[in-house]
Amino acid sequence: MLEVNNLNVFYDKIQVIWELAMQVNKKEAVGIFGPNGSGKSTLIKAILGLVDSVEGEVLFRGQDLTKKKTYNIMRQGISLVPQNRELFPDMTVKENLKLGSAFISEARQSTDETLDFIYHIFPVLKKREEQLAGTLSGGQQRMLTVGRGLMAKPQLLILDEPSVGLQPSLVIELFQKLKEIKEKDVSILLAEQNVRQGLKIIDRGYVLENGRIVLEESAEDLLENEHIQKSYLGI
Amino acid sequence: MKKIIFYLFFVIMAATLPYYAGGYLLHVSTTILIFMSLSLSWDMMLRTGQLSFGNAGFFGLGAYASLISVSNLDIHPVLSLFFAAVFAAGVALVVGFAVLRLRKIYFAITTLALALVFEVIVMNLSDLTGGSSGRVLPQAIFGGNSVLIYWLILFITIIVILISELLNKSKTHYAINSIRNDEITARSSGINVFKYLVFVFVFTSAIQGIIGGVYTQQYAFVMPESTFSLDFLLLPIAMALVGGIYTTMGPILGAIFLGLISEYLKLIMPYGHLFIYGLIIVIVILFLPEGIYKVARKKYRNRKSQEVKLDASSEGK
Repeated sequence: MLEVNNLNVFYDKIQVIWELAMQVNKKEAVGIFGPNGSGKSTLIKAILGLVDSVEGEVLFRGQDLTKKKTYNIMRQGISLVPQNRELFPDMTVKENLKLGSAFISEARQSTDETLDFIYHIFPVLKKREEQLAGTLSGGQQRMLTVGRGLMAKPQLLILDEPSVGLQPSLVIELFQKLKEIKEKDVSILLAEQNVRQGLKIIDRGYVLENGRIVLEESAEDLLENEHIQKSYLGI
Repeated sequence: MKKIIFYLFFVIMAATLPYYAGGYLLHVSTTILIFMSLSLSWDMMLRTGQLSFGNAGFFGLGAYASLISVSNLDIHPVLSLFFAAVFAAGVALVVGFAVLRLRKIYFAITTLALALVFEVIVMNLSDLTGGSSGRVLPQAIFGGNSVLIYWLILFITIIVILISELLNKSKTHYAINSIRNDEITARSSGINVFKYLVFVFVFTSAIQGIIGGVYTQQYAFVMPESTFSLDFLLLPIAMALVGGIYTTMGPILGAIFLGLISEYLKLIMPYGHLFIYGLIIVIVILFLPEGIYKVARKKYRNRKSQEVKLDASSEGK
């Protein structure tokens, strides 16, 4: 469904991503692991057209995204859960959610149904629906960003380090929810540092180091991999 | 329903003002309404996160467009207001495509420069604009009938208020609010940021243009110095800040509050009233940084929720 070929990304003259190739198939959950500064977020930004100098090919359902504007890309069926809980703090929880579908014409018609679905996955959001988003706890805010991402009824949900800044028990809870979402036939592209939790929900993973993919394996094989065990799992 | 009756009451009060208020109060009210519209238009742009200093510029453009269309093209003064709006909007559209790529302080400074550029252009087109000495119309709008002028301005102001409310309710509200909060997240929610910025910039400029036109028609006179005066830039901003930004009620209250105070001060001390006026603005912004309206609303809500709590506890017994 998503296919990235020969991707090079630059910030000014500095190259951050080198000849990267990857893909996400239909109904598949794919992980991208790597340490800080390895290029995970940049890769996501490149897919979504948020960086200027991109060379190579990003195909989504056969369409090249590199020439498209971000807001058009989001209307193709991709949705982003950004890092750092980028919510709209002075809008209510419900408004934040509704914003997720307001500008995606296909999703807008079924706003109420999607809202029910999201409240079903995250009951706490239903309880706090009229509260200002800025007053939620960290974990609730993260759930709200995931919920907002889902409001666009994406075929591909991209998550940029959803575990950042959450206490371990909340990370486990959140990834449990992601598993439920995956079962609804939403493809997932997950960029994570928390490899241990990430491996529980993905089918296949890439390891990104210094802007290059150094490893591509299925989740089971990654768990067995010596490099992964040593550098990421601390075994 | 209660709310609608409440608003209707104020609209009727405002509309019947000429019947119970004297000429002086009517004139003060007219001025307050003019600044109210300007203040609201500035605030609407601010809601997108863009601090514009271009209001005086588009106000001036509207003023000249209206005057020139009446005296050179001989169209009806009321129609000339549309011309003023369209002209200001057109210029804003062209300029906006360049200026709205800038953000924050760069946007603010560039819009301020725009106003100065407009003024210089107007000064140098002396055949059309009368240059630095200005130009006079043979007659004010409605033959100078101050009641009709008041009604016209009230009508325009009500429309501006409705637009401002609409902007805080509709889908545009989501777009504008999210652009102000976080542009990248806005874009990745499928919002065409640039389109919305241009849209808001153009119609707020149109409002400023139409108000500039009304102002000219009221006094039948334009002069670069007074038309592009900083008053039309700074007073509306002060009113919005004092009243409370990002709301419709804020600029309305701010305009009434500062408008009345400045008139009162002028009466009790003909010299030095501006000093006190400035002091009041500083004090209000220092101690009520959220503005009068938001503070009042908070107080009201707190009291209400306390009442609810009291009710609940008495039921418990």
